[in-house]
Amino acid sequence: MSTLDLMHSLEQLPFAQAISESTWLFPFFETVHVLALTLVVGSVAMMDLRLLGIGSRDRTITELTRSVLPWTWAAFGIAAICGLLLFSSKAATYYVNIPFRIKIVCLLFAGVNMLVFHFVTARNVAAWDSGRTPSAARVAGVVSLSLWVVIVATGRWIGFTT
Amino acid sequence: MIQAFSEWLAATSLSRLFADLGWFVPTVQTIHILAIAAVVTLLSMLNFRLLRITRSGPSLQSLAAGYVPWVWRSLVILLVSGILLTMTEPSRELMNNAFRLKMLLVLVLTVLTVILRSTLRHDPEYWTTTPQRRLLGGTIAAVSLILCVSIVAAGRLIAYV
Repeated sequence: MSTLDLMHSLEQLPFAQAISESTWLFPFFETVHVLALTLVVGSVAMMDLRLLGIGSRDRTITELTRSVLPWTWAAFGIAAICGLLLFSSKAATYYVNIPFRIKIVCLLFAGVNMLVFHFVTARNVAAWDSGRTPSAARVAGVVSLSLWVVIVATGRWIGFTT
Repeated sequence: MIQAFSEWLAATSLSRLFADLGWFVPTVQTIHILAIAAVVTLLSMLNFRLLRITRSGPSLQSLAAGYVPWVWRSLVILLVSGILLTMTEPSRELMNNAFRLKMLLVLVLTVLTVILRSTLRHDPEYWTTTPQRRLLGGTIAAVSLILCVSIVAAGRLIAYV
């Protein structure tokens, strides 16, 4: 069974068919997906701008992380669930769509960038928590901001290419 | 009258130029969404604080002083990108009820944000001094959050109604 066959099978699942056949389920999940995405992008950008020394300079990295990251994860969970539901309704179409593929690759890179920052760069965060961030942290901020701009752009592009 | 204006706008050379550029609408929409992300996130954090759902970190007044200028900058980007999108597809926007509702809601949200910012500028403890003000502040915060959700929903529904 090829991956494309698997995508066609996914489209046959009851919930995927329900979304595909309904007039309002797709726009509903799309709206929730966009709303959750705005919170993910906005909160990630707050962290990234702090790492770059542009925003929230009066707050320490750890304090900002503690107050922002729970919202990022909650919103990401909602965006991911709605995204999967939307994907299931036209799985084969999205699977072969280039902007969709770029979006998923960028999401994976954003995840890796975050893990590297969290487990490698931020291990000695106490040394620069309230001051100027090291270049590795600023690079993580630029990479993250760039990837999320591409994620939003390719996400929007999917609607013009499917 | 709006119909006639839409048709006139669509016939202008600038509108035709934008419409002919395949990349123009998705690119401007991306900028529009990024600016919405900034407004929704900043106002959500501010209003969650006003509702006392979040309590740690800087004071409400300090958050408002830091966040609201970014909200205004983002609103300028939203206005410019929104005008460009409307110029490209005038009838799709101006004749659309979801678009009209969205504009009305944006106006109300702007007024509420101005009220919030100006009261906190004059008195950092304004929304905590009396039970009545706490209730009113909470109501404004809840309405602002509902407006943020409704504006995003109305914006997405422009494509469907």
